[in-house]
Amino acid sequence: ILRCGFPHRISFSLGHIRDPNNQLQTVKNLRICVNNVVTSPSTSSAALGTSQNRLLSEVVFSCQPQEGVQSTVMRTGDYNLNLSVTTPWFEAYRENFFQSMPASDHEFLNHYLACMLVVSSTEAVPVEQFLKLSQEQHRIQHSGEYTDPKWFIPNTLKYYVLLHDMNEGDEQRADMVYEDMKQRYGSHGCYLLKINSRASSPPEEDEQIPDPWSQYLHKQNLRNQVSTDEPHNMSRLHFNLFCFYMLEEGPGVSSCLDTHPLQLDADSSTGSLLTLSQVDSDAKTSTGDIDSLPAGGGHHGACLTLNDHDHIRQFIQEFTFRGLLPHIEKNIRQLNDQLVSRKGLSRSLFSATKKWFGGGKVPEKGISEPKSTYGIQYPPEAPELQIRKMADLCFLVQHYELAYSCYHTAKKDFLSDQAMLYAAGALEMAAVSAFLQGGAPRPYPGHYMETAIQTYRDVCKSMVLAERCALLSAEILKSQGKYSEAATLLIKMTSEDSDLRSALLLEQAAHCFINMRNPMVRKFAFHMILAGHRFSKAGQRRHALRCYTQAMQVYKDRGWSLAEDHINFTIGRQSFTLGQPENALLAFRQILINDSRQTATQQAAFLREYLYVVKVRSVLGENEGCLPQLPLPFIHSSATRVYFGHERRLAEGEKQAATDVSLDQEYDQDLSVLWCQLEEQLVASANQGILPNNFQPSQSCLNSQTDNLHHPLAVVEEPIIIEVTFRNPLKVSLLLSNLSLLWRFTTGTLSVGKESTSDQLLGEMITNENTLAGKVSILSKSRQQTLDSIIIRGRQDLQIQGPRLNLTKEDKMLVRHGTDRRLEPIITSPMPLMEVFFLQFPTALLCGEIRKAYVEFCNVSAVALCGLRVASTHPDFFTFGSQPNPGSTENCSAYATFPTPLQPDSMSPEMLVSAPDFSQPSGVTEIPILGSTLQPGESIQLPLWLRGPDREGVHEINFLFYYESTEKGPKISHRVLRHTVFICASRSLSVQASACRSSASPHHSVDDKGIGGTLVFIDVENVNASESDVHEFHIVQVSSSSQHWCLHKYINPYNNYDCRLSSRERAKLCFKAMRCTHVSASTSYLETFCVQIISSSTPCGDFFFRCLQSSEFQQVNLTTRTSFSSKSQGPPPTDTGSDITSIAKKCNEIDLNIIVIWKAYVVEDNKQLILEGQLHVALQTIGKEASSLIPKEEAPEMMLLRFKSDLPSSVILPYLELSQLIRTNLCYPETFTHPFVKDSLCLVPVTLTLSNCSLAQIDVIVELRHKSTSSESLEVHSSFAWVGQTQYKLQLGRREVVSLTLQACFFRAGVYNLNTPRVFAKPAEQSTMCEASQQTACPALIIINNACPLLS
Amino acid sequence: MAVCIAVIAKENYPLYIRSVPSQNELKFHYTVHTSLDVVEEKVSAVGKSLADQRELYLGLLYPTEDYKVYGYVTNSKVKFVIVVDSSNTSLRDNEIRSMFRKLHNSFTDVMCNPFYNPGDPILSKAFNGIVSGMMVQTS
Repeated sequence: ILRCGFPHRISFSLGHIRDPNNQLQTVKNLRICVNNVVTSPSTSSAALGTSQNRLLSEVVFSCQPQEGVQSTVMRTGDYNLNLSVTTPWFEAYRENFFQSMPASDHEFLNHYLACMLVVSSTEAVPVEQFLKLSQEQHRIQHSGEYTDPKWFIPNTLKYYVLLHDMNEGDEQRADMVYEDMKQRYGSHGCYLLKINSRASSPPEEDEQIPDPWSQYLHKQNLRNQVSTDEPHNMSRLHFNLFCFYMLEEGPGVSSCLDTHPLQLDADSSTGSLLTLSQVDSDAKTSTGDIDSLPAGGGHHGACLTLNDHDHIRQFIQEFTFRGLLPHIEKNIRQLNDQLVSRKGLSRSLFSATKKWFGGGKVPEKGISEPKSTYGIQYPPEAPELQIRKMADLCFLVQHYELAYSCYHTAKKDFLSDQAMLYAAGALEMAAVSAFLQGGAPRPYPGHYMETAIQTYRDVCKSMVLAERCALLSAEILKSQGKYSEAATLLIKMTSEDSDLRSALLLEQAAHCFINMRNPMVRKFAFHMILAGHRFSKAGQRRHALRCYTQAMQVYKDRGWSLAEDHINFTIGRQSFTLGQPENALLAFRQILINDSRQTATQQAAFLREYLYVVKVRSVLGENEGCLPQLPLPFIHSSATRVYFGHERRLAEGEKQAATDVSLDQEYDQDLSVLWCQLEEQLVASANQGILPNNFQPSQSCLNSQTDNLHHPLAVVEEPIIIEVTFRNPLKVSLLLSNLSLLWRFTTGTLSVGKESTSDQLLGEMITNENTLAGKVSILSKSRQQTLDSIIIRGRQDLQIQGPRLNLTKEDKMLVRHGTDRRLEPIITSPMPLMEVFFLQFPTALLCGEIRKAYVEFCNVSAVALCGLRVASTHPDFFTFGSQPNPGSTENCSAYATFPTPLQPDSMSPEMLVSAPDFSQPSGVTEIPILGSTLQPGESIQLPLWLRGPDREGVHEINFLFYYESTEKGPKISHRVLRHTVFICASRSLSVQASACRSSASPHHSVDDKGIGGTLVFIDVENVNASESDVHEFHIVQVSSSSQHWCLHKYINPYNNYDCRLSSRERAKLCFKAMRCTHVSASTSYLETFCVQIISSSTPCGDFFFRCLQSSEFQQVNLTTRTSFSSKSQGPPPTDTGSDITSIAKKCNEIDLNIIVIWKAYVVEDNKQLILEGQLHVALQTIGKEASSLIPKEEAPEMMLLRFKSDLPSSVILPYLELSQLIRTNLCYPETFTHPFVKDSLCLVPVTLTLSNCSLAQIDVIVELRHKSTSSESLEVHSSFAWVGQTQYKLQLGRREVVSLTLQACFFRAGVYNLNTPRVFAKPAEQSTMCEASQQTACPALIIINNACPLLS
Repeated sequence: MAVCIAVIAKENYPLYIRSVPSQNELKFHYTVHTSLDVVEEKVSAVGKSLADQRELYLGLLYPTEDYKVYGYVTNSKVKFVIVVDSSNTSLRDNEIRSMFRKLHNSFTDVMCNPFYNPGDPILSKAFNGIVSGMMVQTS
């Protein structure tokens, strides 16, 4: 009737048992397992299987690793693994698996050995109850109705227990009943257990006694939840009878001893308590009566005092030593006797019968038991099984040696009978007992296990048994350190039918790999992944996640991206389903960040999963305040560009805004240096030529190359534009929408942060590389990411790492990064803001062309500005004009003109101009605006003259406008505005000028003011390349500018005043230049044609002086360079040399600047245009040609390569130059008629004019003796002679002109060359006479006619 | 014949890995990665003194149900792994050996390329061609 019991295990420290040979055998740590007898009418094995599986899965599920407790760091090779060494879930599984094994017929280990009959003392007639129970037990065992509780031995030990509740029943009566029992069953067969000494009381008043059963119960409860389902109806009844208070005594009908070697191994705790515990809460609730009881389901044994515990312990001890062990001992002896007696005849008999009848016996068995396809099955009490039974008994009492030999024998018998199942069982146990044998007299028979497993699996088709065997075997192998064998075995045991088992076994295999002497990390990882996979299939998500996470450690960051992605993906999924979206996000993020090599579809799947997780998370409303960080797209944070500037009007009508800085421009190091130089010039000129110490070039566009160490300055109410570069690493396109910038503003030290969004950019599709700009900074970007209609909103932080430092040693040793304050601007008080527009600004000009354009300055801010300046890389390109010039503006011509009557041969007018009027300090131009301030909103338009550069080609011209606030701002002292124009200059005219001394006698010139008539030849050639556009050039005027010379007269032999040059034509203009007396600077100009241009007025003069300046500047540069080089080469030339040279140079110097003003007729778009321009030529010395075109090749670089010293050339030079000191001029009648008939001698007066060109005193020697030096001259003047004084010594003062009258004497008519006098000159101070023969080049011919006497 | 061919750097990250497109690439990645353990075991099994005369070909690393994995280690510890279908019984040890030799030669050519940065993934077309040749002969 009473079948309610609970499995318990009891272990003892020591016990003794005698073996069949009467030797004392010690039993250690014996554990007793007490079970309820559940006579379930044979449930189908399938159902059993599922319930078992459910149970195991529950066990594994409930056993999770505690966070961070068991993890140990393992270091192998270059791997650092964080592992949990223990796997409690596996141990729990194993234990439960063993326990839930159904008892099978081929072995007896978990058959019941004894039966405990418990009756309460409150029972009316306990003895009767005992009888009933005893009968019941007998019925269960022997009637054959029940197959489930299997019994070890037919005559099961019965142990009678009278349970007495101290609080309830009558103690004396109990004692009496016990006495009665003792007489009936003997003192070793019964026991009176008194418990529940403590009065029942509310649990909270209880003093805390540790729950004695806590270490057992958690497993059992679980188990009961599963297993109590079926016998429910029956057990309900009995609870009513036997439940008392808190502690109900489950009146166990039977107890069975079921020890197992592994349990012995695993739990060696001594003196554990007997647990006769309470019904589990499930059962309790189903029994309505005890509902009212204060069901402290969590606490057991609350009514037990410590004495009661001792009682229970004593009881079990008594039971074991007085009842159980002697019983076992007796049985072993019996079995042994049976075997020994049987041995003699049976051995031979059996084998003989087998021989004779063997053919018939096996099929017979096979027919009777159709189930057994794996060999014969013995009836339960078959003699063949006795030896096995004995072996099992020996095993239970830890007599392993005997057990082994029994198993061994049994195995042989079974094998010879072809009873494979039995043989496998015997093999298994033989191996185990061999292992457990302490002294190890024989090597562990590993092949026994293998054979057993194989037989179980392949022959018997019993996976459960095979698994049990494998678990045992693996455990044994592990304890022997044979990890690789254990791993192989475990892996072999994995199969498709049970995911949970496979998962656990794979995990164990993985642990085997890592525990090997040379740990196999990768195998570990791989099997962990397999285990994780199986876990997830088995529904054990938490374990799956743990496996994957552990495997991840091996794969992470090692280049196995495909595997890594897969693991991450799985981790993400599992974490998400386990309700850890944070971890899921991290894992998915990792996939997306990794440089993925997946296919596009795979990436899309990853992305979708990620988006989904984020979406779900946001729907759940977690982290409402801050948006999630998005991993995609990548932000190239270092490529971020920050632009401080307002939205400029680019063009307005024909107005053209200054280019300034914009995000479209690429950063150029050289250019930025150039701009910086210009700004330095401007700032210096604004600060009286001194550059302030704290000067910082203003940067309005910051990028990775600019100097970002300082906080940039931004002006309040002016926008800041930030350009962020995104990259989508995926092959899938991302849709970005609603982009906005988040920023925080901090005032002073009070860090009152405020985050705010601004401006949104809508619908931006990024495919692979894309840049886009948002506005206002600075923290991060928030935005939505869309894919297949999943839209998530997240943010990405913009953090810019500065450049790597590389200055100090530490910097070089470590990787350090500087600060980057690009995104941390300081907002300053309002500053003026100017815009500059250009009107009619040309893009192409002819070289030297003058064009007028307008420039408009516009103050668009609310602050007045002043100090407007401009600096340029080409200061000679433009001018604002020196004075307002109202007259010329209306005219179509750029020049100021006044008409003059056509006066051929008229004297050229002269005009005195002082050069400083036009000069400018350096390259900075102050812009002449009225009042010098520009009020807010005001704009001013100024004319601007431009002159085409002298060199053809495309010129990049940079303007930098400078302005400052009227009130001095504390942070920003000034602001600048950049403008860059490209001018395409095409060739116009080439002007070449040369000067030479006129050979005409000074007396011939009409109004000679002194000596020094010089001829200036100007070659003008039309070199314009484009023949179609430019029709022709007119030379309008030639002006000159010099301190000493002026163009005097236009020598025009053809009287052709219209000098036109069509394509490739060349004209030669000839002027006479005179030395003028003005000391100050002067400009003389000479009109060639009808309209007079005031070349001294604004555009012309401005450009002339600007060009002069820049060219002078260049020359200075050049000379300093050359002098430097010559100095380094050797001693300076001697005094004499240098002196002479200087004198000679001076006399040759002319220093005349010529301005050629032209007009060009150009056809453009079928319209004829007249362009005007001017070209400048600087004539330096007589005889040298100067050109308006700058020679292509420049020598200076070559100078450095000279190997010879300068000395010889400097000595030679004076003689060449000295020949120019004195100009000689012979004056004589061209033809002279002399009647030789009358007078044979003809005397002709010849005047020799000597003029000193130099500024020094010159000693001159004139020799008239003609030494015939050249053969050519011989024949000619052999017939004439100089008469009179033939040598003169003179001294000529500076610029003195002396005439000598000479007489030539001719003897006959003919043509003579009079140019035979030789003139030697030397500077007067010169002591040594280093004479120079002066020019004798051209012959002076005279024709002497013989006057015919007839005519005369 | 081969279903997967991989070149693994000294530091055990893949320089090159290619498998037949018909099958799950991930599986091969796992297989190759796991085989590295065996490679290490085999390499370390040879004594240090014998390391110089060690044969580069390591033979069958381990058989799985469907595949046989063969290994080869160059003197610079670069590993070659060839995965062959288990059903393909025609392949003898010698043939595998010659495949590895061919692979090694081609790999040497790759390393000789002055534009190749040691440690970078192999992108060489010639190498790819050789590998394709080994995989194509399946039929």
